[in-house]
Amino acid sequence: MSANKAARIGEEVWKTRIDKVNAELVTLTYGSIVAQLCKDYEGDYIEVNKQLEKMGYNIGLRLIEDFLAKTNMGKCINFKETAETISKIGFKVFLNITPTVTNWTTDGKQFSLTFEENPLADFVELPDDGRAQNELWYSNLLCGVLRGSLEMVQMQVDAHFVSDVLRGNEVTEMRVTLIRTIDDELPPGED
Amino acid sequence: MTIYSFYIFDRHCECIYIKQWHQQDKFRPTSSAGPSGTDSPASLTGDGKRSSAGSTLLRSNDTNPSRPGGRLSVQDDAKLIFGVVFSLRNMVRKLSGPEDSFISYRTGAYKLHYYETPTNLKFVLLTDVKMNNLRVVLHQIYVNLYVEFVVKNPLSPVEHHGGEGVAVELFEMGLDGFIRTIQD
Amino acid sequence: MSRQETPFVPFSPNPSLQQGTPTSTAPLKHSLTASSTSNLRYSSSRKSIYDRHLNRSQRSELSKASFAFLFGEMVQYAQKRVSGIQDLEKKLVLNFTVVLIATGVTQFDIPQGWDIVLNLHGYTIGQRLLELLLWRDGRSAKRETRILGILQFITTTLYRSVFNKPADGLEKSRDNEDEYMLIDNDPMVSSYISVPKEMSQLNCAAFVAGIIEAVLDGCLFPSRVTAHSVPTDQYPGKTVFLIKFDESVLEREAVL
Repeated sequence: MSANKAARIGEEVWKTRIDKVNAELVTLTYGSIVAQLCKDYEGDYIEVNKQLEKMGYNIGLRLIEDFLAKTNMGKCINFKETAETISKIGFKVFLNITPTVTNWTTDGKQFSLTFEENPLADFVELPDDGRAQNELWYSNLLCGVLRGSLEMVQMQVDAHFVSDVLRGNEVTEMRVTLIRTIDDELPPGED
Repeated sequence: MTIYSFYIFDRHCECIYIKQWHQQDKFRPTSSAGPSGTDSPASLTGDGKRSSAGSTLLRSNDTNPSRPGGRLSVQDDAKLIFGVVFSLRNMVRKLSGPEDSFISYRTGAYKLHYYETPTNLKFVLLTDVKMNNLRVVLHQIYVNLYVEFVVKNPLSPVEHHGGEGVAVELFEMGLDGFIRTIQD
Repeated sequence: MSRQETPFVPFSPNPSLQQGTPTSTAPLKHSLTASSTSNLRYSSSRKSIYDRHLNRSQRSELSKASFAFLFGEMVQYAQKRVSGIQDLEKKLVLNFTVVLIATGVTQFDIPQGWDIVLNLHGYTIGQRLLELLLWRDGRSAKRETRILGILQFITTTLYRSVFNKPADGLEKSRDNEDEYMLIDNDPMVSSYISVPKEMSQLNCAAFVAGIIEAVLDGCLFPSRVTAHSVPTDQYPGKTVFLIKFDESVLEREAVL
């Protein structure tokens, strides 16, 4: 599926089949969650990253079903198509953004998602305690979401942020790597 | 035009939901030992007393062990159906490529309709032989009932370890209503 | 989360800004642009959040499912945290109960653990929403001093900006002077959740109750807001928010 076709599908689903809600509510809710985590783990930002990823993973397991129900997509043929689907349809349908797919490796197993805007991090500034900017990945939930949802469609991936504007970098970029394709499970007693 | 039963299997080859309707009597009559086939649907989860929340819906089925005469309990039914469906699906894929999947099959006594999502969730419907293809119905159940009431409900688990099934009231009510409109 | 702090929250849209967190690590030296007081790095190509207009995201929308999933995870996390400290809570509640019975008090309301957590989340959000909404009203914003005024503000402006529809009803309780009821026939936050019987005390509308309470506190109407579900045939999700104002508010109202 070409990028254009994916973009068109994404636009169409966004316009017609999605119930919408005020973006600020989502931004504030996410902020409240991150704040709660920072407080619970008393500034251990590595642990907060892990928790965010785990929460994202749980969300991803469910989100994929909602995505399939709304977009009627079948399985993607290869990883390149998966990348286009994620960026043009997936993110569009849930967050109304379309990050760009860049930096493919030659074996086609790794790509980057570059975010021009990130509604989860609107109007956010990391705490000025000297460590947050080095350790906290504010939008780490998204990495977990990708990992969870792709696992449900038989792909084991690793997703992590490599740069974030909240940390003072130029762009927000997430690196996604396909580790392996998961085989169908066989019922017990059959090999 | 009757619908006999409905099953959902998850990606781990487990049966996570079974629902049978009373016309099952004609198809596979219950013995006198089992619960009598009355006019009310013999659903395993509709009876609030039998399934306490979170407990496995399949385990609570022990009121119906293997009946004499070679007829199977509901659990074994489910396993059998899964085996058939799984083998058929694999065979179809081997024959015509990974894009294809089988849609339904028909015997002298019933017709089985099948729908699988890209997340390997399998929906199976058993009806009488005269029914048209109900793949669309299964898709509707997935989109309008399963995703809305089960997936989006944070209190219902995604992975069913140890045989826990789907136990969401809204889903069951919706399913019941939906199937009744189909049958009319 | 301390609610004893002054109701006028310093305007800080940054949700992760913690008041006075002591740090042991030395602040970093860096090369990119920075203000003289903060040590944060900013991207050179983008403006900082203080340069962006606050109204940018006023009309922007996200999918309802995103909110639903986030909210669901919040509920799950609250559940895990609460069950972790449930034993401790039980002990505390038990002791508390004994004391109350001993002193002759027989009627009290012990909120369940996760209602508190949801309420607190709602509170954080409510504080910021209040600032945002009042700022957006601009010059025509009126500081509400009467009970009816602030309740109207909540029923219309606040509800409309958050949920795209005004609340469905506002009533004054006949039995108590200090109680008012805000009615929502179909609260958005509860629309996805079907609560199993043994968790019947879980009411996700506690989140919205937190928002309302924060707004009231922020406008100097200290009160307690609780959510009660009153399902009817027509509206199975109907929820009533019971707003109980403090003594001070009633005294002030009587004077005005």
